[in-house]
Amino acid sequence: MADRIPVADGLFAETKDGARLIGSRCASCGTPYFPKVDWCRHPECAASKIEDAGFGPDGTIWSCAIQDYPPPAPAKFDKPYKPYAMAVVDLADGLRVLGQIKTDDIRSVKPDMKVTLVVDALCHDDAGNEVVTWKFEVNHA
Amino acid sequence: MREVAVIGLGMHPWGKFGDKSVQQLCRVAVDAALKDAGVAWRDIEAVAAASSRFSGGRGWGLNGNDVIDDMGATGIPVYNLSAGCAAGGNAFNVGTMLVASGQHDMVLVVGGEKMPKGFIQTSGVEETTDPEYLRQVCIGVPGPTFWAFMCRRRMADHGTTEEQLAKIAVKARKLAVHNPNARFRKETSVEEVMGSALVSYPLRLFEICPVSDGAAAVVICSAEKARRLTTRPLWVAASAIATARFDDGIPRGLAGAVPKDGKAYHSEAAAAVRKAMEKAAIGPEGIDLIELQDNTVYYELSFPEEWGFCEPGEAEHLLESGATLPTGRLPINPSGGFISFGEATTAQGLFQICELGWQLRGEAGGRQVPDAKVGLAQTLGLGGNGSGTILKR
Ligand SMILES: [Zn+2]
Repeated sequence: MADRIPVADGLFAETKDGARLIGSRCASCGTPYFPKVDWCRHPECAASKIEDAGFGPDGTIWSCAIQDYPPPAPAKFDKPYKPYAMAVVDLADGLRVLGQIKTDDIRSVKPDMKVTLVVDALCHDDAGNEVVTWKFEVNHA
Repeated sequence: MREVAVIGLGMHPWGKFGDKSVQQLCRVAVDAALKDAGVAWRDIEAVAAASSRFSGGRGWGLNGNDVIDDMGATGIPVYNLSAGCAAGGNAFNVGTMLVASGQHDMVLVVGGEKMPKGFIQTSGVEETTDPEYLRQVCIGVPGPTFWAFMCRRRMADHGTTEEQLAKIAVKARKLAVHNPNARFRKETSVEEVMGSALVSYPLRLFEICPVSDGAAAVVICSAEKARRLTTRPLWVAASAIATARFDDGIPRGLAGAVPKDGKAYHSEAAAAVRKAMEKAAIGPEGIDLIELQDNTVYYELSFPEEWGFCEPGEAEHLLESGATLPTGRLPINPSGGFISFGEATTAQGLFQICELGWQLRGEAGGRQVPDAKVGLAQTLGLGGNGSGTILKR
C-alpha cells in the first residue's frame, strides 16, 4: 500500500484535536515562530526564552492568491499541472503563516474567510506515495 | 558633511542582449556618464558598485572590480555593495557618503545586470533549514505570489479593481513610448492588459515586470568640482537606506507574527524614504516626481500611501484622475517604470537616479514633468533592503 510521506520532517503533525504546525514561542515576549528557532529575534525582547509550541488549527485568511502558472523548481506538483489557491492565514494563536488551500473551487477563496489547518496531499512521488503538507480548508457554516 | 553634486548620467538601454556581456553593458553606461560629466576615467577617485547576483562579478559580486579592470586599472578603491534589487540605491548611498565625508572628490556609481531567463528565484539554496526553500517545496509559493497576496489584500481593503490595476500598466507603457532606454515602447490598452495571461491572480503578465539586461552609471562629486565642471549640477538633497523591521506584516519566509498595528508593510522602503525626506527637510508636497520600484503595478498604489503622499485608499483616485501622469500633481514613474523596462535587478536604483536627473534638467522629452525641481527615487531589495534618494536642481 502507498504511504503518506511528509514533504519535510518536523514541520507539522496530526493530533486527535486536528493538525498542528510545529514551531516555537518565546516565553518572555510571546512571539511565535515557525519553523522552530533557537533564540528569540524580537528586538524589544528582554531575554530570549524559547519553548516548543504548536500552532493551529483555527485561522482567518489575511490574503490569498492563485498560482495560475506552474511554479519553478523546487516546487512540487502532480502533472498535468492544475492551478491551486494559496493564502496568508492569521492563526488564532498569533502566527501569520502561508499555506495552500484545500479546495476544488480555487476562485471562491477570499480574504477574511475562516479556515482550519489540515494535512493534505501536495503531490505524489515516483513510487506512488502521497507526499503531504499542511494546508487550510475553508470552514463552511 | 559636504554637499554632493550629480554631474554625469549614463545608461545602456534595458532589454534582452544575449550577445553582450555585463561588462559591455557597463562600459556603455560608464562611458556615457563620464562624457555627460565632462570628465575622464582617470579623474574618478573611487567606485561604488552594485554587486550583481546573476552576472559578472567573478561569482563573488565583484562587479566594481570588473568595471575598473575594463576601464583601465588605476588602483582606485572600490566598494561592492550587495542589497538584492536595492543594490543600486545602496551603492549610490555609499558613493554620496564618500564625497560628503571628504574622502573623495569624484566618485563613479555603477550597476549592471544580465538576468537569467524566467521569473527571479528567491533562493538557490536547497536546505531544509532555509525558509525560502521550504516555502517553495512545502507550499509552492514563488516570488511573484507575494505581490499577488499584497494586491489581493488591498482589493479587500479598498475595493481596487482589476481594471484599475490594468490602467497602471497602460499608463506606464504610454510614457515608455517617449523613453529611448525602455524595453517596451509600444502603447497598450486595458483590454490587452486584462487579456494577458494570469500569473498569480489577481496579477497578470503585463502587470508585473519581467527580467531584463541593463546598466546605468552616475558621476558624483564635491560642490567645488561641480561648479568648475558644469553650470547645471544636480544636488543630492538626501540619500538614505534602511532594512526591514521585525514587526513588518509581510511574512517573508514561511511565517511571522500577526502584526499588532496590522499596517506596517515594506518597512525598509518606508523607513528609507521617510528618513530621506526628513534629512532633506522636504515633505511630500515638495516632491515634484517619484520614481518608485514598480515590480508590479500594485506598488504604485501602496507605496505613495505608505510614505504619506496620500491617504489609504486614495491612490486609485489619483490614478483615475490623472494625478500620477507627468502633468498631474503627483507624477509617478514618468520613465515608464519597471513595468516598461523590466528588471535588471541591481542596476535599477541607478536607472532611477538617471531618470530623476534627466527630469530635473528638463531633458526628458515627451515624458517630461513640467518644471521639475525635486525628485524622489526608491528601491526595495531581497533581504529587506530599501533606499530613498532625493535629488534637486
Ligand atoms: Zn522574546
